[in-house]
Amino acid sequence: MGLGCESYLFTLAVEGPFPEPEPGQFVHLAASPALTLRRPFSVAGFPSPGTLDLLVELRGKGTRALSALSEGASIPLLGPLGNAFTPPEPGASAVLVAGGIGVAGLRYLATRLAGDGCPLLMLVGARTGDRLLTDLLPEPTDDGRVRLRVATDDGSAGSHGTVCDLFEEAARHLDSSPRTYCCGPPEMIEEAARIAGWAELRCEALLEEVMACGVGACRGCVVETRDGYRAVCSDGPVFDTRDLVFRGARDA
Amino acid sequence: MPDLATTVGGLAMKTPIVLASGVVGYGTEYGGLIDLGAVGAIVTKTITLEPRTGNRPPRLRETAGGLLNAIGLENVGLATFLGEKLPEAAELKVPIVASIAGASPSEHATLAGRIGEQPAVAAIEVNISCPNVERPRNPVWADPEAAAAVVAATRGATGKTLLVKLSPNAADVLSVAEAAERAGADALVVANTLPAMRIDLDARAPSLGNVTGGLSGGALMPVNLALVWKVSEVVGIPLVGSGGIGCADDALEYLLAGASAVQVGTALFADPEVPTRIVEGLAGHMERDGVTAIGEYTGLAHKEGTTCGEMIRAG
Repeated sequence: MGLGCESYLFTLAVEGPFPEPEPGQFVHLAASPALTLRRPFSVAGFPSPGTLDLLVELRGKGTRALSALSEGASIPLLGPLGNAFTPPEPGASAVLVAGGIGVAGLRYLATRLAGDGCPLLMLVGARTGDRLLTDLLPEPTDDGRVRLRVATDDGSAGSHGTVCDLFEEAARHLDSSPRTYCCGPPEMIEEAARIAGWAELRCEALLEEVMACGVGACRGCVVETRDGYRAVCSDGPVFDTRDLVFRGARDA
Repeated sequence: MPDLATTVGGLAMKTPIVLASGVVGYGTEYGGLIDLGAVGAIVTKTITLEPRTGNRPPRLRETAGGLLNAIGLENVGLATFLGEKLPEAAELKVPIVASIAGASPSEHATLAGRIGEQPAVAAIEVNISCPNVERPRNPVWADPEAAAAVVAATRGATGKTLLVKLSPNAADVLSVAEAAERAGADALVVANTLPAMRIDLDARAPSLGNVTGGLSGGALMPVNLALVWKVSEVVGIPLVGSGGIGCADDALEYLLAGASAVQVGTALFADPEVPTRIVEGLAGHMERDGVTAIGEYTGLAHKEGTTCGEMIRAG
């Protein structure tokens, strides 16, 4: 299903046994025999046993190879891989912070939490209004249990600014201590981590990194943490933002 | 199915397919994803005396026909390897080859002594060729005398089968190969990755945190194949071909060029079942060629004026 602006929702039927994934986990796809590496994609939905939703933004060779597959095509898949988000304590609320295609990493969590009746505030940002992927998220409810706020860099939808502006605003007006979850570009994660730290909120980030093995063997996809380098594929992809060491995109 | 069993410098293997160092961690990370029935031996991540944190990320960059990596020998160090990783790997029922790297001949001797005395270790691979940690000038891999010193020290510390992994990046690989043989290597692994880089256009900066990394994958295959050909003409010990092997035909080319076994690395990332496919493909070649022992292929392409099929038919 095309979603405008080069993002697609893929639905895959998995052959063979496939355990129910936990929100945060990913699958490793061999999108094309021409590519040396598989590509990791967050599970963006599990509509029925053996069926997976993936939300993919066309960005490079892997995502383009995936989008070029015809309906009914078959590709190798490993998964579900990686750790998972820590669910909120019973009765606690959740805040989701998604930047751009970061919705892909949080959609399954949002669906699960909304289904469980968890009070949920979804904050979604994109460069422009037509890039917002909010249609795929749970519907906001009249009783305010599920809420949605959006922001765009150009002000074409929602408030003019970034999703972290929304997060900072929300963090100023909290009357409880929700669990928070974020996914998006590295600079957005860093900013969300800063806000969570300032507001003393537990925050988990789903990280993306170029991966080779997907199972923790090759040590290729590491991220720097307070405990040293950790593999995004097997120690993550979900990390507590307090554990992450940010050095800017490219420190000198 | 034909018998693919082979012995390389005393290391007996049920197939000539070896899982290369660095790709499968300490052997157990892939769980059941790799059919170990197709695997002759597993080479561990390179072990150093002390734990190493490795290079700063990014550590990977895909490139046409291959992959650049700059892991930087991240590993748990000797003590944890012996205490935790090796006992787990020993459960795999596949010969374990421990890869080692030291900063000096005496460090190599220490590593080889401690690791070589472990019954669970079938052989030791000396990694003198990691492109991501070496001193930039006069690296050991390019210096026959320095390489010989490392191999001799290692040889003196263990009676286990000793493989030495060469670099394709030496100006005179043949002299390094000869030096390693003279210093006591039982077999040579030909070869490691080739230093290379890419630039991240968005960042206007090197793609890898280490600037350069090792090129592996199909792009490397003809480079290291040529080295196997040349090295096989100057040494008498067996060779293990390594570099870009992704299918049975690639493996057979290495055997025909002079290798007795092959290592598979990068191809596992796209397909953990590649060892099985290679074994099945090699068995098919053997049946078609009427070959009963895989070793009959080794070096066959060197025989002047005869095609492989003619050689085999001529017995």
